[in-house]
Parts: sequence; C-alpha cells; structure tokens
Amino acid sequence: MSLFIRKLSQNNVKHVVAKHYESQTLIFSSRKLSIVPSVYDGEKDPAPKFFSKNVQVLLKRLTRPDFAKVFRKRKNTDLPVLRTPIYKFLTNEQLESEIAKANKKADKLLQMPPIVKIQKPITDVLSKDPALVGYDTSKFVFTDITFGVANENRIVVERDPDGTLQSCDHEIRKRLNQVYFPIHGRKIKEPLMFTDTEKFNSLLERQEYEFILDRACIQYEPDEFTYQKVTSITYQHVDINTNYNLLRSTRHFGPMTFYLTWHHNIDNLMLELLQSGTVREAVLLVALRHELQADVTNGDVAQTIVQQILPTPVQLTKPDRLTEEDIQLDNKCVECIEKYIVSNSAMKSQHELALQGFREYYQHLIDLSRGLQKAHGKVSN
Amino acid sequence: MPLPPASGTGLYYAKAAKSIRLIRQGCTNRPFFHIAVTHRRRLNSQPVIEQLGSYDPVPNIYNEKLVALNLERIKYWLGKGAHVTTPVAEILGLAGFFPIHPRTYMTAWRNRQAEFERLAKEAEASENAQTSS
Amino acid sequence: MASKLLAFRSMICKPLPMIVKQTSFQHVPYNLKFFSVSPVACVNFFNKLPADKLWKSVTSVSNAGAKKGRGKGAGRIRIRDLNRGQMIGVGKINMLWPGLSAPVIRGRELLKQQRLPDDPERMEKLIKLRDSMTKFRRLKLSPIERGWSGSRMPGRSIGPPDPVGEDEFTGFDTKVLQLRSLLIMKGSLGRTRNYQAMVVTGNGQGLAGFGFGKAKEAPAALRKAKNRAGQKLMHFEIYNGHTIFHDFYTGFGRTKIFVQMKNEGYGLKCHRAIREICQAIGIKDLRAKVEGSTNLQHIVKAFFIGLLQQRSHQQLAEEKKLHLVEYRAENEHYPKVVASPSEVRTKEQISQNETLDFIQYVMNDKVILRKKKFPRFYETMPHYDIYLKKYERYRNHEKIRLNLKVEYGEIKSFLTDKYPEEQTQSDA
Repeated sequence: MSLFIRKLSQNNVKHVVAKHYESQTLIFSSRKLSIVPSVYDGEKDPAPKFFSKNVQVLLKRLTRPDFAKVFRKRKNTDLPVLRTPIYKFLTNEQLESEIAKANKKADKLLQMPPIVKIQKPITDVLSKDPALVGYDTSKFVFTDITFGVANENRIVVERDPDGTLQSCDHEIRKRLNQVYFPIHGRKIKEPLMFTDTEKFNSLLERQEYEFILDRACIQYEPDEFTYQKVTSITYQHVDINTNYNLLRSTRHFGPMTFYLTWHHNIDNLMLELLQSGTVREAVLLVALRHELQADVTNGDVAQTIVQQILPTPVQLTKPDRLTEEDIQLDNKCVECIEKYIVSNSAMKSQHELALQGFREYYQHLIDLSRGLQKAHGKVSN
Repeated sequence: MPLPPASGTGLYYAKAAKSIRLIRQGCTNRPFFHIAVTHRRRLNSQPVIEQLGSYDPVPNIYNEKLVALNLERIKYWLGKGAHVTTPVAEILGLAGFFPIHPRTYMTAWRNRQAEFERLAKEAEASENAQTSS
Repeated sequence: MASKLLAFRSMICKPLPMIVKQTSFQHVPYNLKFFSVSPVACVNFFNKLPADKLWKSVTSVSNAGAKKGRGKGAGRIRIRDLNRGQMIGVGKINMLWPGLSAPVIRGRELLKQQRLPDDPERMEKLIKLRDSMTKFRRLKLSPIERGWSGSRMPGRSIGPPDPVGEDEFTGFDTKVLQLRSLLIMKGSLGRTRNYQAMVVTGNGQGLAGFGFGKAKEAPAALRKAKNRAGQKLMHFEIYNGHTIFHDFYTGFGRTKIFVQMKNEGYGLKCHRAIREICQAIGIKDLRAKVEGSTNLQHIVKAFFIGLLQQRSHQQLAEEKKLHLVEYRAENEHYPKVVASPSEVRTKEQISQNETLDFIQYVMNDKVILRKKKFPRFYETMPHYDIYLKKYERYRNHEKIRLNLKVEYGEIKSFLTDKYPEEQTQSDA
C-alpha cells in the first residue's frame, strides 16, 4: 500500500491521493489496528484558527508543561557524551532572571509544529518550445542558489525533454532544497519507518509516539500529505490507547488536541481528564471546542471561566490543600462540565460516572482542608 | 583540508577580461562541472575568482540533470561585462535566464534528424526483410 | 619375600653396568684359585656423595656471582627430581615381575616372570618430564586478580580486614598500594630486611581507610597494614552516588593534586593509587592530575586530606550566602538549585573583589596551568598536507558506501543495473 502511495506521489498528484484516500477508505491496516488517517484537506483552513492567540493559549495550557519533563535528558541530541555540569553562585535576582530565561527556552522547546492546510500542486508553465524536442532525453532541473533566499521562495524550474519550462512540484523542490541546503536530520530518501507499514506499526505498538512525531517534523513539511497522514495515525493511536501522558509536556500535545477537536473526537480525552480529576483542563477543552467548532451550548460560560483559570498555576499533581477561591473555581468548572455533558457529550454515561467520582473525591478534599483550617484556628464562612 | 570557499581564491584584476565558463571537476569517467567566473586568459586548472554554480551532466536516478545557478552573482558579473562561453550560455538559455542559444536549437534539430534517419533506415530494413521473405 | 624385594631394590638402585657385571659373574664358574679377598671398590663420583650435594655443585652460584644477580631468572639451573615418573618394577628393560609390577594370578593363570617387548618411548617421556621441571615459569595470575604489574603485590586485592571480636568487615575489600623492603642496620644482626606495606580498604559505599604495616615478612606486613586500615575508616559523601562534590586542590609535602568532579560515565582518569582509593570509596567518575613529587605515600595522604576537606553544596551555599545552581548540558542548561542558604545576600552586599566563580572558589583561588596544545608531530610535516589533499577526494566515500548498503544491501547504484557489463568487469 505504501508503494501505491509512493507511486502516486511521484506523479505529483498528492491532492488527488488525499481525495482518493477518503473516498475509497483505504485502511492503514495492521494486525491489531485499522486507523483511517484524516488530513486537513477540507474547505476550511485550520491555520487561522490554530495560530489565533486564544487557541494557542488554550493548547499550551492543555499541554500541562512539567519542567522536569520538558528539560529531561533527550535521546536525539547532538551530544555524543555527557558533559561535566557547570555550577554558579547566584543571588535571588540573578536566579529569577535565569528561571525567566529557562521559561523562554521551555517555550521554544514546546513550540508546536504548525497545523496548516494540505498543499496544492504547483502547475506553472513558464514557456513551451517545441523546437527543443530531441535536445536531450533527460530533463534539466535548475535551482537558484542565491544566498539568503528561504527554501520556500527558492526558484526551482525544470526543462522537460519536450521543451516545456515549468516550475517544479513540491516533491522535487524539497529534494533539491535538501541537496543544496541540507537540513540536519532530514533524509533525501524517505526513512523506512515511514514507508514500511510494518516498521511504522511496530513503533506505534512500542508507543514511541514522540520519536515518530519528532522525526516526522524533521522529515516533512507541515503541509505535506505524508506528514499529516503519519501524524493523524499517531494521534489516533494515542487517543485509542489513552496514552496522553506520553505526549504531555511535549510540543506534540497541542497539535494532537487540536486534531482531535477539529475532527470531533474529544470524548476520550475528556473522559481521561475527568478521571484524572483535572476539571479545569476539561473546561479548557470545552472552550477549545467552542472556539473551533462553535457547537457547544454553554461555550460562552466556558470561555469566561477560562479567563479565570489561566492565571492560576498549572496543576501537575493532585492538590492536597484547597483555598476558598480554588473551591469556587472548581465548582464553577464542575457546573460547566455538567451542562456540557448533558448537551454535547457523545459518551454521556461514562462522563457522568467520571464526574460523579470526581465530585465525591472533591467533597472529601474540601472537608479535609476546611477541617484543617478550623484546626489551625482560621475559621472562614 | 577544507574545500576552497565558493567566493574563490584566485587573484582578481579589475581591468582584465572575465569569462563565465564550465570548469571540469569530478574524476575519470565521471564529469562534473563548476560554473565559475575567471579571467579569460587564465587556465581552467588555476584558481577561479568565484564559483557561480554547478552542472552535473550525468542524469540521476530520476533522469534529471541537476544545475545550480547563483543568479544574483551571475547578474553581477554580467553587469561587470563578463563574457559567457557557449556551454554556459546554453545552460542559461535552457534555464530561461537567457534566450535559447542557437546551438541548442541546432543540436536538437540534428538529433531529431538523426532519429528520423534511423527510423527511416529501420523501416526500410524491415520492408526489405518482408519482401525478401 | 620382603628381603628378596630389598635385595632387588639395591640392585636396581645400582648403576646398570654393575648389575650386568654381577649377573655375568653368576654364570661364569668361579675360579676360586684366583679369588681375591680384597674388596672391589664399587665407588665413583656419583655414589660417593649424596644427591643434594651433587645437585649443589651444579646449581650453586658463587657469592660474588649472586651479588651480581647470577643464578636468577631464565638462565637459572634448577634441581630436578630424577625419581619423578619412575616406578618400582618398571625400568629400561621391560620385565613383568609378578607380585611387583603385575598381580601374581591373573584370572586362573599363574603369571610368570618374563620379558616384554621394549617400550621405545619410555626414556623420551622421562626426559620430557624432567625438562618440564627445569623450565622457568612466572607465577601466572588471571587478569582480574593481577595488580598493576604482573604477579607483584601492588594493586592486588587481599580481602577484607580480619574481624575484630564479633564485628566483621562485610562488603569490604583491601587493595595493596605499596609493598617495599626497607634495610635497617642493627648492632647485633647487621643489615636486616624489613617489609613495609601500604593498603587501602573500603566498602565501595563511602567508607574507606588506609594503613601502613611493617614486618620481617611481606605477608605479615600486608596483614598488619590491612587490619590497621580497617581500624582507621573514614566516611566520605559521594555526590549523586558517582562523583565528588566539587573540584579541589590538595597537597602533601611537595605533592600537588588537582582533582575535578566529572559527569556520569567519565570514569576514573587519575593516578593508579588514586583510582584504587576511589574504587574503595565508591567514587566512579573523577579526574585527577598529580604534579610535583610523585611519592606514593604522599599522593595517598594528600588525596585523603583533600577528600576530607570537601564541602557539601549546602555548606558552600551557606558560606557564600548565595544560591548554588547547577546547569547540565543534557537538560538544556536548565538552572537547577542544588542548595539554598538560609538567607541570601543581595547584589549590593557582594564586594567587588570577591571570588564568585564556583571553580575558582572551591579551588581556593588556585589556578590550574593550562598548557598550550601543540600540533601533533606529523601535522607540521609536508607529507600530512599532501595526505589531506589526497583524502579530500575520498572524504565522503565511507558515508556513501554506508548509504548504498542501506539502500541496496550492497555497494551498487542505479547505474549498476543499467550497465551490467561494468559489474562483471569489476568483479573479475
């Protein structure tokens, strides 16, 4: 099947492939799973929504960044061996500025790969000269290697044996860009892990999601069909197996959430959030859905709650103490989620059950923290 | 030993005539050309003033001949009055940067003619074979 | 029977010609007329002296020669046990002696004394056996057991110290660092030899100590040193279970040691004695440079002093009243606060000429001399330039070969199928 894709893509008719893919429901099959990839190829363009400030903020918050994980030891660095650590004596102000720098670095590390519409084939004939027929049996490809031109703006043209001079399609452009201006880590030939279905499935089964997604980011452009196919299969695999925690604190969680929301498939994620007791993030997810699809009945309420949630710190672990403001906010969140479940959820009973479990746990926590406050002599209303 | 920089290492005399030409690199049985600007009276084996591109005459696996052109620098040298040799002019013509060089048309015509003759000969031969049998 | 055997044995022990002579006497009818009563002198060089004296005459080296070192090593003549490999009843002539070299009754048959065919290889085997005794052989140790050099003691393990009462040294191991002989003059005995040993013992989890021992014999000195080391254990903190807390400088006498903390997996790159000490303590990664005197005892003492003078990160932070922050390259240099003081100074409270650089501070303002790196001797020669120019052509070949192997499984390209005749030519 992958052969089929390659053959088609060689003919530069990716757009057709995408259409073909959906209509015929060619299934990316393996022993266990059969996932139909869905790409961003409809009439609606996801880019403006994805790059809008509201959505970016929501996606970043949903990533739940844990610095211990963001700055973990990575396998795919350029360091062949470890280095001796460096130590510094810092004052409070210096430490704060260093931490601010680290936050910036974390933002960079967590920068999400863009989500854009699938690219259109380039068909731009510059000139036709039938008098050149017979000059050569192979075509000439000309690349402008002028210094300081971005890859996407580079002039790459081809002279076919029939004398036509035309701009090259994306595939040839990408190849020649890689030949003359190599990107570190990108291969001219597609790696086997993407072309060989068996190898790809074995990676999925081993839950090497981050490796797949990182490599896909390097190997492909975000508007390529193959990129969107690979990522969509991976996201769906994560969703089916509820392995969200493997992608949390990485730059791929946001695009995954966006993908699931865009394709009306957030029920699993919502269930996971409710079961893990993070109602605030559940509200963020509802707000995200309202932002993208605008089909949530109490979407405006969710969006107002989001404004209150965003200034609070990220909850990495379950809290053991609660303040009155926390309790108020969480109660609002629970109400919002209740309405959402009634009106928009596709897995009503399961969501209800999870929310009920959270309520019981939360009531216990409230009693505990209020009791503690009482014991400490700080009696509140 | 690192490669010499693309800016070239050759001596530059402002008033001497320049030429943009193909300079054969590669090895035995494997030609590869640099498109470079150098003094007109200088040998190809000597250091050039600047490299402006490359041309690989051997088709790759996709049956393409790859040409790289630093159009900005080519324009600069043309503005300086550099002479362009015929092979380079042909390449630039095919790229759509220059008008097609007459020699390209001549070669194409000759190739077509040769092909036509070959086909005619073949047809004749097959006819003869049919009549004799 | 027994007396017979004894007689036999005496006959065998005598040189063979004598036996032959005697037997021949038995057969010849004695002419008693000429029978002489004077004793036959059956005495020669070989039976006049005992074997050990004979051997001494061969192997002994004169006093002067011994002082020069003669009679040692590979050329030394050694005493051979000529009785080895020989059995009573088996000799040059292969005889069957019932009751001696064979049972009297075999099955239902009474065996008779008879001559068997000669064994031609018997003598060769004997000579081979005797030669094997003479060959000089060094004591062989397995590569794990051996110390710094061959079968000598330094660097070798001699087990944990002996238990004191009920307390046992479980998990401890002792390494010999030094074993040397000292000569001392005594009024009554003259020059006498004493052995001095220095060992380090430790359990690899922070507990270690070193000790000296002197005795007339090497093993006794080692034992003394080992037990003394067991009594002088010190505890050392190990940072993250693999290295020291910070770089430090330490010295003893004219010995100077610059020790550096290192990342995990770096290993112990230091003097061999320091390496043994680190292994005894449980330090896994460290670099140390010894400068000045390389007196082994001074190195050991200096290193232990340096380790004891280390300050923990919390101590350093308290001393400086500043946060101590760790940056690791593998964590993208994320500032991790390893120690915070109870109160932190502000920028204004830090004087201008204070040492703020961590390494400079922990080294007590001692600066390591970084020597200029000179090019390798061949890098300045013209042939190296030529080599580099020639290699420029092949600089990518290995990568390309690898890529081709990945793509096609062998070294070929898409042109190989197009021009198969090239393939056959190159193969032939």
